[in-house]
Amino acid sequence: MTIKQTKKSELVGEGVGFDRIRRITGYLVGTVDRFNNAKRSEEKDRVKHGF
Amino acid sequence: MERLIQKRNGDLVPFDPMKIMNAIHMASQAVQDNMTPADYTYLTQKVCDMVSGVDVPTVEQVQDCVEETLIRYDFASTAKAYILYRAEHSKIRDSEAYLMDIYNRLTYSSAEAENIKRENANIDGDTAMGTMLKYGSEGSKYFIVNHVLPADIASAHANGDIHIHDMDFYMLTETCCQIDLIKLFADGFSTGHGYVREPQSIQTYSALACIAIQANQNEMHGGQSLPNFDYAMAGGVIKTYNKEYYHALEAFAEAALDYEPGKAQALKKVIQAEIPDPIRLEKEDEFLEALLDVLHDSLDEDTIRKMHRFSVRQAAESTTTQTRQAMQALIHNLNTMHSRAGAQVPFSSINYGTDTSPEGRLVIRTLLDATMDGLGAGETPIFPVQIFKVKDGVNFNPGEPNYDLFQQAIATSAKRLFPNFSFIDAPFNLPYYKEGDPNTEVAYMGCRTRVLGNNYDPSREVTFGRGNLSFTSINLPRLGIEAHGDIELFYKKLDDMMDLVIRQLLHRFKIQSAKKVRNYPFLMAQGIWIDSENLDIDDTIGEVLKHGTLSIGFIGLAETLVALIGKHHGESEEAQKLGLEIISHMRDKLDRESKETGLNFTLLATPAEGLSGRFVRIDRKKYGEIPGVTDREYYTNSFHVPVYYPIRAYRKIELEAPYHAFTNAGHISYVELDGDTCKNLTAFEAIIRYMKEQGIGYGSINHPVDRDPICGYTGVIGDVCPRCGRREGESVPLEKLRELRKKFPNVPNFVQ
Repeated sequence: MTIKQTKKSELVGEGVGFDRIRRITGYLVGTVDRFNNAKRSEEKDRVKHGF
Repeated sequence: MERLIQKRNGDLVPFDPMKIMNAIHMASQAVQDNMTPADYTYLTQKVCDMVSGVDVPTVEQVQDCVEETLIRYDFASTAKAYILYRAEHSKIRDSEAYLMDIYNRLTYSSAEAENIKRENANIDGDTAMGTMLKYGSEGSKYFIVNHVLPADIASAHANGDIHIHDMDFYMLTETCCQIDLIKLFADGFSTGHGYVREPQSIQTYSALACIAIQANQNEMHGGQSLPNFDYAMAGGVIKTYNKEYYHALEAFAEAALDYEPGKAQALKKVIQAEIPDPIRLEKEDEFLEALLDVLHDSLDEDTIRKMHRFSVRQAAESTTTQTRQAMQALIHNLNTMHSRAGAQVPFSSINYGTDTSPEGRLVIRTLLDATMDGLGAGETPIFPVQIFKVKDGVNFNPGEPNYDLFQQAIATSAKRLFPNFSFIDAPFNLPYYKEGDPNTEVAYMGCRTRVLGNNYDPSREVTFGRGNLSFTSINLPRLGIEAHGDIELFYKKLDDMMDLVIRQLLHRFKIQSAKKVRNYPFLMAQGIWIDSENLDIDDTIGEVLKHGTLSIGFIGLAETLVALIGKHHGESEEAQKLGLEIISHMRDKLDRESKETGLNFTLLATPAEGLSGRFVRIDRKKYGEIPGVTDREYYTNSFHVPVYYPIRAYRKIELEAPYHAFTNAGHISYVELDGDTCKNLTAFEAIIRYMKEQGIGYGSINHPVDRDPICGYTGVIGDVCPRCGRREGESVPLEKLRELRKKFPNVPNFVQ
């Protein structure tokens, strides 16, 4: 991703999302955007485990 | 008037009874049904009679009549052959259109819109080479299904009974290999594209480690793993330390003793000739004794001691710096270097944690540091998958030599998700372990694959040079649905399905076995695969491949249990009991198969990335939406307790651990922690320790790792970034970033 600064406004970040890294099998995946539909849905369903 | 028949494309052609007779003849020949010529004529006449009432019959109608006639006159096996023949041809017609449709979608749609381009999340389906790879892959699958696989196996794959993984590579290669770099580096090696000498410094060791992974990745369809990363890299540290020591010694001689460069070099040569072994970290005093001995005639003792002290200090500092840089470079390289013509980076894994030598320890420490620091802009590294080997007596308890590194691994994993943890003491890993021989330590491939037992050659129950040959997964929930609560029927169906998969794995193995060394200029010609060094370039590889594993995988144990008895193993003791029975039944059958064939049939808890959605999609269409079974978009990963089911971390570990013992081809369990729990390292460690106690083989802890690329914050981000306060897509003033940078040095600087 190239992030450009807008000269006039002295602002940066317009249109730039957050990276969200998740483990998918044993692998990590850089961002949820690259998950297939089933894994996206699985990721969304994951609940945290308490002690 | 001439009788006509309508073809599938609508054309009308003359009706020819000979064609019917030929079809019946071919079907009966295929199964040797002992039909007489009189039978052919009789049956053909019957078919013609049946369609005589129709003005212009279609091909499909005539074929229906052939089927019916064969069945009615009790030619059951010919009928079956004929049905298969029809099914196969209709499949070919469908898939031709199907393939062209796929090419269309690959060409004209983005990965964002097309699930098919996101089958594997670490392959970029939007790039030119990513798309080219998909063309090749889809075309290859078409070829395999229609021209290579036996009809019933092709049909089982197509209809979702089973999934043949990496089917596009069916005719080409194997899954993965545990690469022993120590063996590879000795005397140098060739990548298939050029020869490299034996590396002489830690930085070259690290660079060549990446090259080896890359070269092997291009010859196999799965990930690549280094099983003894710490031991292998330690060799490079030894060389660097020794080199730097002599470098400093020469510098000392020139600066402090006023030697000419030539004389300083001569001094070095004298020492090296007398003390051929390299100086080692933490063994400097031994070296000093020898040095005093060698130089006592040419220099006074005080000078020798001073020179040694100076050289050790310089060498230690420089070696630490170089090792640190080498580990940073390794992580950067493995996250950026291309494989498969640029479509992806190599899927790499490294195992470490048990080398207690000071050099090995330096490697582990600096690698963990580099992982903690992250990539250039502080991003979390995705590759390599890192696996910290936990072992009693080595790193698990306070006072053990690498306990500090275990602690560092925990802190790193709590921030960066890696390393994962493997447990050598697990009851199914420990029997193979021989102290001091890393080749007997279990190592995992990133996703979860494991080899160790060896039924083909029980004297070689080792890790190095071995891997999985191929694996195929069974749609377990479907068998559960179709058993309609009848457990006995379920086992019958399961056995039948496993028999089919065993036949398929052997079919693939036969193809693999016929390949030659020259088909794998790196994997086989460089002796990476076990025993391949004994083969010539035109030898076939079938015999050495027998050290590898043929694996049956499964998905959706949870949904299977719900289909069978209404509950999954997270919510019912009875279900857990049945779950364990099913999985141990599968393992027993594969053990028996291994014994009979002399091969290594193993049971895999399938990673199921692309597969998780495929089976359930087909099953929902077939059986409708069954609550707890087909009502989600995915089937649950292998034997996992469903991700949506609320359960305590300890309980999840207790329930999943016993399945690790059965799944000898590989397994992984994870628990999900929220961001705050994760900051509590004591809690994090408690979970890892519990995994070990319960007999987990390979595990890790998941927690959200988010990052704002604008201000560089890494941690949990909800809707708003806690550091710079922006929402996704919003901009922030540069002035604000300048302010933040004063407090947080890792805020990226966008002003060039």
